[in-house]
Amino acid sequence: MNISTTKLFAAQIYWNTLKNKALRVLLGIVALLIIYAAFSGALIYQEQTQTRQHYQHEVRTNWEKMPDKHPHRMAHYGYIVFRPKHLLSVFDYGMESFTGNAVFLEAHRQNSANFSEAGFSTGMLRFGEISMSMILQVLVPLVIFFIGFGAIATDRENGTLKMLLSQGATWKEILTGKAIGLLGIAVSVLLFAVVVLLVACLGIAGSQINGDDILRIGTVLLTYTLYFSIICLLTVIISAVSRTAKFSLVILIGIWLTAVVIFPRTAQAIGNFLYHTPSRIAFEAAVEKDLIKKGDSHNPDDPYYKALKDSVLKAYHVQSVDELPFNYGGFQMKEGERLSADIYNQHLAGLLGIYQQQNNVLRLSAIVNPFTALRNLSMAVSGTDFQSYTGFQQQAETYRYALAQHMNDLQIKYISNKKPDDHDHPPSISKAHWKEFPDFAYQRTSLGTVMYHELWSLLALLCWTAGLLLLIKLLSNKLKAI
Amino acid sequence: MFLLLLKSFLRSRIAVAGIVIVLLAGITGIFIGQQHIRKQQEAIALTEHFQQEHIQRNAQFFDKELGLLLYYLRFSLVNKLHPLNALSIGQRDVNSSIQSLTIRNLEGQKYDTDLFNPSNLLTGNLDMGFVLIYLLPLLIIAFTYSLLSEEKEDGTWRLVATQSKRPVNVLIRKLFVRMITVLMVFAVLLLLATFILSLPVDKLYLAVICLAFIYMLCWFGISFWVISLQRSSSTNAVILLSIWILLTVVLPGVANNFITSRYPVPESMATVVQQREGYHEKWDMEKQPTVDRFYAHYPQFSKYPLPDKQFSWLWYYAMQQMGDDEAAVQVKQLQEKLRLREQASEYIGYFIPTLHTQQQLNSLAGAGLANQLQFMDSTARFHERMRLYFYPKIFEDEKVKSVDWDMFKVEYFSEEKRVSWGGLLLPLLLVTLVFSVRGWMNFNKRMTAFA
Repeated sequence: MNISTTKLFAAQIYWNTLKNKALRVLLGIVALLIIYAAFSGALIYQEQTQTRQHYQHEVRTNWEKMPDKHPHRMAHYGYIVFRPKHLLSVFDYGMESFTGNAVFLEAHRQNSANFSEAGFSTGMLRFGEISMSMILQVLVPLVIFFIGFGAIATDRENGTLKMLLSQGATWKEILTGKAIGLLGIAVSVLLFAVVVLLVACLGIAGSQINGDDILRIGTVLLTYTLYFSIICLLTVIISAVSRTAKFSLVILIGIWLTAVVIFPRTAQAIGNFLYHTPSRIAFEAAVEKDLIKKGDSHNPDDPYYKALKDSVLKAYHVQSVDELPFNYGGFQMKEGERLSADIYNQHLAGLLGIYQQQNNVLRLSAIVNPFTALRNLSMAVSGTDFQSYTGFQQQAETYRYALAQHMNDLQIKYISNKKPDDHDHPPSISKAHWKEFPDFAYQRTSLGTVMYHELWSLLALLCWTAGLLLLIKLLSNKLKAI
Repeated sequence: MFLLLLKSFLRSRIAVAGIVIVLLAGITGIFIGQQHIRKQQEAIALTEHFQQEHIQRNAQFFDKELGLLLYYLRFSLVNKLHPLNALSIGQRDVNSSIQSLTIRNLEGQKYDTDLFNPSNLLTGNLDMGFVLIYLLPLLIIAFTYSLLSEEKEDGTWRLVATQSKRPVNVLIRKLFVRMITVLMVFAVLLLLATFILSLPVDKLYLAVICLAFIYMLCWFGISFWVISLQRSSSTNAVILLSIWILLTVVLPGVANNFITSRYPVPESMATVVQQREGYHEKWDMEKQPTVDRFYAHYPQFSKYPLPDKQFSWLWYYAMQQMGDDEAAVQVKQLQEKLRLREQASEYIGYFIPTLHTQQQLNSLAGAGLANQLQFMDSTARFHERMRLYFYPKIFEDEKVKSVDWDMFKVEYFSEEKRVSWGGLLLPLLLVTLVFSVRGWMNFNKRMTAFA
């Protein structure tokens, strides 16, 4: 393969595209959309982050300001945690709009994460949002198809192809050169998007951008380049095997529609059909049933709690709980919290397992659909995927449990066993204890872990690139000029 | 002539493949809609079942104090599903159709969401609405983009043009054949849906048919205009697909981002923080002022004096009430914002046929934001009614057994739906008309015989 000939083909398609007025307009629209997406992404990020930080701060201040009181009152006062947005959510909104943003954490009860954007939407959201990632994943491939559908088919139709081949150019040079030329256009758009993204990130986060963020943006650059390579190779291959340019266009549009519009929805629908999820009421009923089976703290004659009490009384050689050296109410609640959290977490793990199974149909299908592969990778890197969301939920639950048990411990230690009379002041402990309990600090998943989770998607992209390169090699020996 | 055209059209492989794909997707959509309705109905049946069991069990454990029992008891209100919801799932997969509430403060409870897999929401439902809004236009595009250009490219148009006084009539007849075919495809799906989902044939059903019909007409209008530009098949395909993307992806997306950032709802977070403070801070405050504010809200209860004890249920429920009362401003602002969102979306929809069709379909199916807002209002009224029923009983310390607990069945909210035909159909008709007339004018100005 002659490098300079290949270069020539690449340069030809690249510059011809930029010279064509209609295509310039098309690329111009894409560029404007990227700017708009970055701008509105940054605006939404800023607005949401400010609101959440503001209320998170308020929640903490109020918590620390609480006067002396009974620790169990504090456990019910509880805490509200807000899901922090990842900086890269400016680039890829992922599931952000569909996931809850605030959870109220209290003793005895696992509340849902509420206030998702979707819940407050008019349904318009279902058409999708304009994000930089969407433009790059969905629109740019189509633009590449529009630019490149005739890359070889047109030359074939008007006889240029025959001339080129008779002048000594090889199929391999033509195919590779044109693919590189198309990739040049796609990567130009990508680089433009990354620069816009960097500007947007600097604008909203300034010096707070860290090495991890930069590394993630680098990963975006690499994975999208891989994706665009697949798109460009596919374009020239289809164009080369099509008899007419029109036919090539129809096939490429068909591929795009299948991969982007029909396939993901169908795969997810299949997942949904295969694995049934319980409704909220069924889920809660199942948790309650298991809990009652184990021990019902509401039932005064419950055998589990009765046995617990008897064993404690026996161990301390006393007749009644009043004589115990610690607060028995707190002790019993601690045990109850442990039981209920255990059972709840088991059920939740089951539920998340079903969700994972549903999602796996789409996830696994990435091997046949590079669009899905890139979408999953992109969301994961941007911290807006399913894993990030469940990660937040789990951290919130861990925090809730720690809070409830911490308050139970305080009760066991500091609250008297004697029941106050109607006119006594209720027992309380010093407010100094509230500050002792640390604020909720959300831990992000490291990029390494994220990439490990998405290894399959990465593999799919690599397989596709390798497969198409191989196909070009094979086709080079078989293609005909007419 | 017509039958001949139809036969020759249906002989093409692309036509048959397109029809088969849309039919398959449509049938899948019908069953997905059915699955959605079934899942919701199962949940409602479970709610009915558990409400009785839950009340009985708790009434047995907490048989001494009514105040304590009502701390635990939940009463449910169900947002009834219309069978049409199976065609357009809308917001019903994210917003819960069931509210189970205690008589404690409302604002801490009413936003509790259903359990859902966010990936499902992100990819979207493959319901009939999707088939109508996304796939049928693609079928129309595939059927029409080369209607004229193909004949020119094959050189047959000259023959056709010389045989007819007005060649454009031939074109319109060809277009008509495709229109009939697309409408038949939709009719078949609708018929299947009617039987499988046992849809009631009423005014709403008719509205859905009209909406779908004119939406498809709208796409034929757009296609007709693109054909009238008399470009090559490839150019037509690029233009039509670009319009499709503009209408199904870009414009709704831009509109959505606009609405989200134009009407942000930080009030939702303000509400949850405020109601919690409003209630909890009262535990550490003088009791009388709290109770006095409760009397001010409900003068009818001022006859119940605050008992001289550390704890009383009057004080407790007064505190709970303060959670709602002190968040009232934020709640109102939130509702106002959501109404603004709803209104803005409707106006924007007038200019974007896809958006308009989806929103109207959702609202006919009772699956839009408007329905959710009404359900929320109804939830608030339901909660207030339960409160006012139990408050006097709690304050008078009535016996738990004196209440007839069997009386508390699950209650239902069903939205009263009116069809405003003008708002439903006019925007789409207008778009259809504009494109058809422009197309017609183009043909009258210039009709070439060659590609």
